[in-house]
Amino acid sequence: MTPLGSIASTVLRVTPWRLERRLEVEARRAALTRIGGAVGAMVLVGIVLLLTGRNAFWIFWQGLDAIFGRQRGIEGAALRAIPILMTALGVALSLRMKVWNIGSDGQFLMGALAAVGVGIHMDGPAWLVLIVMAAAATLAGAAWILVPALARAYWDVNEIITTLLLNFVALQLVTWSALGFWRDKEAAVIQSTREVAHTLPGLPGANSVTIALLVPLVIAAALWWVFRSTTIGYEIDTIGGNPRAAGYAGIAVRRRILIVMLFTGAIAGLGGMLQLSAPGAQAMNAGFSAQFGLSGFIVAALAGASFWGVIGGGLFIASMFYAGIVLQTKGLSVYIIFAIYGVILTGIALGEIAARYRVVRREAVDGDGAQAGDDHDAATERAAT
Amino acid sequence: MTGDGTRPSVEALGISKAFGGVAALDAVDFEVRWSEVHALVGENGAGKTTLCNILAGIYRADAGQVIVDGTERDFRSPAHAIDAGIGMVHQHFRLVEPMTVAENIHLGWPETPGVVSQRALVDRTEQFMGEMGLHVDPTARIWQLSVGEQQRVEILRVLARGARVLILDEPTAVLTAKEADDLFRVIRELAASGLSVIFITHKLREVLAVSDRLTVLRHGVREITRPTEGATASEIARLMTGEERVLDVEHRTVTGAPALELSGVSALNDRGIEALHDVDLTVRSGEILGIAGVSGNGQSELAEVICALRPLRSGSITLDGADLASLSVRAVTDIGVGHIPEDRIGMGMVLSAPVKDNAVLHNYWTEEFAQGLTLDRQGVINFAKQLVETARVQTRSVFSTAGQMSGGNQQRLVARREALAADRLLVAAHPTRGLDVNAAQEVRSTLIDKRDSGCAVLLISDDLDEVLLMGDRIAVMYEGRIMGVFDSADADREHIGLLMGGHSAVEAAS
Repeated sequence: MTPLGSIASTVLRVTPWRLERRLEVEARRAALTRIGGAVGAMVLVGIVLLLTGRNAFWIFWQGLDAIFGRQRGIEGAALRAIPILMTALGVALSLRMKVWNIGSDGQFLMGALAAVGVGIHMDGPAWLVLIVMAAAATLAGAAWILVPALARAYWDVNEIITTLLLNFVALQLVTWSALGFWRDKEAAVIQSTREVAHTLPGLPGANSVTIALLVPLVIAAALWWVFRSTTIGYEIDTIGGNPRAAGYAGIAVRRRILIVMLFTGAIAGLGGMLQLSAPGAQAMNAGFSAQFGLSGFIVAALAGASFWGVIGGGLFIASMFYAGIVLQTKGLSVYIIFAIYGVILTGIALGEIAARYRVVRREAVDGDGAQAGDDHDAATERAAT
Repeated sequence: MTGDGTRPSVEALGISKAFGGVAALDAVDFEVRWSEVHALVGENGAGKTTLCNILAGIYRADAGQVIVDGTERDFRSPAHAIDAGIGMVHQHFRLVEPMTVAENIHLGWPETPGVVSQRALVDRTEQFMGEMGLHVDPTARIWQLSVGEQQRVEILRVLARGARVLILDEPTAVLTAKEADDLFRVIRELAASGLSVIFITHKLREVLAVSDRLTVLRHGVREITRPTEGATASEIARLMTGEERVLDVEHRTVTGAPALELSGVSALNDRGIEALHDVDLTVRSGEILGIAGVSGNGQSELAEVICALRPLRSGSITLDGADLASLSVRAVTDIGVGHIPEDRIGMGMVLSAPVKDNAVLHNYWTEEFAQGLTLDRQGVINFAKQLVETARVQTRSVFSTAGQMSGGNQQRLVARREALAADRLLVAAHPTRGLDVNAAQEVRSTLIDKRDSGCAVLLISDDLDEVLLMGDRIAVMYEGRIMGVFDSADADREHIGLLMGGHSAVEAAS
């Protein structure tokens, strides 16, 4: 039982009900409890806002209006969603194998850095430069996770530490490029690389959103198909479910781990290029990644490694962030905004846990559930002879 | 505290305990006296550990009384039991590896001072070791110690808490011969100082060497309690294994070239110790070779080395004359070797995955399901539905996770899956362990069907009844060696019981 589950069952001890773990959690229930958690959290936030004398209804209305009331809002949310979705998809892929890639921020930055390098040095038609930028970013993202992936696959070195620490190295490299070797000497800001001349084509009817928005959707669909209909997806899920069983089934577990980790880095790296190729974002500085990797990680964890869940969750979080920014301009302090983010994310996390339990009436006789497995086996084994 | 060797220290009267409706102990009486070493003997699953777990406060009995030194007790936790002077050393040590011996002995001990220096802990430990006459370097960290020394720390931990009745659960299972001899000396000294020692084992030699009295459990029922003096190994073996009526399985004598042939096979276990020594075995097509032996004598390693899951150290393994040892796991499966693994949950299936995915774990890559990269989803579902139906697996649907099925249904699924994969050889490790009678019978008939269809079957089981029932020929394993191979007609239960307990063929014959 999770710690939260055991706290809940302790609270329930004095009541005639108890918690029972579900054998299986259907996808629909898992989605509904998460939405319920988010709604519950917003109600809680509203009550607190009302109690502190603020007009909660006005604030929520302003938040919704900021996003859905105008095209600029929808596009603003979509622009924020792209990097979050890309890093989240990388993490979600690694989670299918129970590997925790915490380094998507670093892979994202290295992808963007490689794209800038290509973009400011390469001459040629825009489409060719953009394609080479995308390829370079993909390779750079994969390269940035290569060492953690080799260490994890072949020497069982915990990937959480190695991938996390490389984030800081990537950030330093970006700062160095912006202050040093690729510095834009003509720009007013001190810390910025030169600007890439090309941007991706815009979506029809959009002012600032480019076809980059389609990339995470295509990747999510591809991953969904891989895990639904291919032997590769089957093998990755088997490794994630039980590595010993994967070895027993003759799957090359270590090589699979290496390859999948490289892919997660590649997706995050490509995300960096997509971010860089939006109009107005064509240069890199130390603030280039507003911790998109962290947001992506939260999205992937809350989505439970479901790729469509990542899309839904990523769009939601990006909208929430965008609404938060607009609300700051309406006089709500940044601390309150962050507190609201936190409460809503916690609500979703609680919804994720709640999906795994159900409340049932306590029976007259409480079976003792805590029996050591081996002795239980011994007992049933006896019955078999 | 000290005893005269006749007054009981612990009495258990009419103890019954069931798990999930299956009786593990049925009205067992058990008595231990002060100053004695009492061997508790029985096959795997006989109820030895369950009985001791009740005495040590880990389980509560469904019925019966526990009387300690004349007072009836109702233990609700191991802490209650240790307060009453009963302490248990488990088969798997419960030590904190990065910490020192002195720290481990003082951990969670009410008498440990609240604020204390390393120096003081070491001094206290040394003083206590002196009193007990048992020594381990108190400043050493647990991971630096040999298994025998770790066990000594466990014993010291229990004694430090005032245990006067010491329960040792299969203490020699992890020890070398030299370490076991040292342990026996310690046990004798503790008993001489007035303590009771309950010694769980299934090794006959140890029973005779170290105990004053012995109790045999079989299928949760006490067979006998008697002084060790005058007891013979063959008598104990007979009581342990029983003489059950053998169900009717027609045995065959198959001649012809061997299908599976092992010659001079050696292999290491996970701890890097040689677990198979120079094993020679043959299994012919159309016969079941049963491997008898107590678990942990190299059977797991034998199954794994044949199925390419464990590297071969020396020797050769061939199937129909072709080298098997150089093949990959997948290639071994592809040429028609099925493997019902010993640990069906840990190795044989993915509990978090749907039943349909588990149904094809050993053949999803074959042409039947894989076209290039894509997996024929409908084909997998149809195959799984058919498998579930023919193996009579009870599951909500093939889309439900394997984890929601009962152990018996999981094993039915694995057994049928592997039987289908096995065209030439089926390796079945403890295939009926943990199953109820009906499920066990179904798995057994699956094996017999495979044999009758001309497949070679290697059956590993620690249930001697099962090996005798199923095996057309029977090989006995002890400490990684083959002690003897018999045709089923010549297999003598008592003789095999002796070989399983480590008596050599010559000793057993005399």
